[in-house]
Amino acid sequence: MVAVGQVKSARASRAGLSRVTIYRIVALVIIIALWEGAGASGLFFRGVIPSSIFVIAALLRLLGDHVFWGHFGVTLFEIITGFVIGSAFGMLGGLGIGMNRYAGQIFEPVVEYFASTPKVVFLPILLILFGIGVGSKISLGAISCFFPLALSIAAAVRGINQMYLRVGQSLNLTLMQRVKMIYLPALTPAIATGLRLGFGIATVGCLMSEIKLSNKGLGHAAMQAYGRFDIPTMLALLIVIFATAALGNILIGRLIRLPGPTNRRITQLPAR
Amino acid sequence: MMVPALRITRVSKHFDTAKGRVTAVEDVSLDIMQGEFISIIGPSGCGKSTLMNMVGGLLTEYDGEILLDGKKVSGCQPEIGMVFQEESTFPWRTAIENVAFPLEAAGLPRDKRVARARDLLDLVGLSGFENHYPAELSGGMRQRIAIARTLAFEPRILLMDEPFAALDEQTRMLLGDKVVQIQQQLKQTTLLITHNISEAVALSDRVLIMTFRPGRIKRVLDIDLPRPRSSEMMGSEKFASYVAEIWRDLREEASKGLQESEAAAR
Repeated sequence: MVAVGQVKSARASRAGLSRVTIYRIVALVIIIALWEGAGASGLFFRGVIPSSIFVIAALLRLLGDHVFWGHFGVTLFEIITGFVIGSAFGMLGGLGIGMNRYAGQIFEPVVEYFASTPKVVFLPILLILFGIGVGSKISLGAISCFFPLALSIAAAVRGINQMYLRVGQSLNLTLMQRVKMIYLPALTPAIATGLRLGFGIATVGCLMSEIKLSNKGLGHAAMQAYGRFDIPTMLALLIVIFATAALGNILIGRLIRLPGPTNRRITQLPAR
Repeated sequence: MMVPALRITRVSKHFDTAKGRVTAVEDVSLDIMQGEFISIIGPSGCGKSTLMNMVGGLLTEYDGEILLDGKKVSGCQPEIGMVFQEESTFPWRTAIENVAFPLEAAGLPRDKRVARARDLLDLVGLSGFENHYPAELSGGMRQRIAIARTLAFEPRILLMDEPFAALDEQTRMLLGDKVVQIQQQLKQTTLLITHNISEAVALSDRVLIMTFRPGRIKRVLDIDLPRPRSSEMMGSEKFASYVAEIWRDLREEASKGLQESEAAAR
């Protein structure tokens, strides 16, 4: 199955663009056409759906504006810090809940209930605790990313092939050795997925709190543009936010090297 | 007289289940000498694996005593190596990294463990496959990696719980030859758990026949066949008579097991 797929895609790329790429371009063109059509139709309040040309112009203007880069830097700092703190605790929590039966029984229900709560309800408390600066944004981002990561890793720990653990047990491995030599490599796919998910959710947490109450950051800038009814700038900022989240996601996917033969096959494919 | 490498004295194990108390192993006593190859054969449900888990230290609550070189076995220890029936190679490690796993845990420097792992892969006939991942190898090759991995830390006693059960008949015979050859080379004290009669005869110095639940030793049979052995002597008359003898003892136990599982299904 895999081999057939690889052969097919290799053939398509030799012929030019692959079929998937063509569909993607077609979908993008259709979306832009619908957008332009909706804007020109007069069905909406004037200026709500500006032509994509204005949006692109606003985007280019932003990229040359040092004030924008200041906001961008603040938001990026918040997202990364929140993500690092939240995912570190999320991984530790997930391992703890998954590996220790009692910890699981005590904490898992609590984590599950909180995971399904919208984290923005914590914002008033966080604002009081950490102020309206980056502190409240980082903490909301961290809290948002903690729960899904902890839950998915706890589930993955329980799904580990028991034979791996028995081998570890028969060799009398210490807890640290078991974590380093069995749990972490066995969990790498789950951790990779969890981190990518967590990064997106940390981004949502940070921006949500920026939009609610802040004096810096991309969310703040977007709300300012909204206040001025500068819709092209607002949309340009949204594009920047979207691109940042997507790039972060791709970067995490690239940085984590999945162990085992699948990764190896992908890198070896051109040589064959 | 020599001190046995492994002495099992009056070992019993009960499990408390929802349906009441089940005796898995009852009053098993056995002395295993250094370098001896012993097979334990019995029907499914005779407590073979329970016995192995007790010897290996995975099960620590039982009645009786298990002594390794005169010292009581408590928990897992490096002197006893285990090979499991189920797939147990680590899919994220290459063949050589799998074999080096216990050496890495023991803190051996990289060049030493690689050299040692390479020797062991060679011993199980897998040189040339060092950098293959388990997913790229056959079931028989993966099981050989598991055996090499267990041999890597030079256990005094090798416990194998139906290591060939998941393999096809031909692979099983060839792998059996390999195991005998390695065992003779290393003079490795080995305890093999199996339900395959010809395998037990072909490999062992002694065969232990166990009864169906509760698992007791029904009979110990000395296999007086010349070494070096290989699967080729399976055609010999003496071999066939051993197989027939074991089957006579085992048949009764196996049919008890069958009856019980049929009754349970009803």
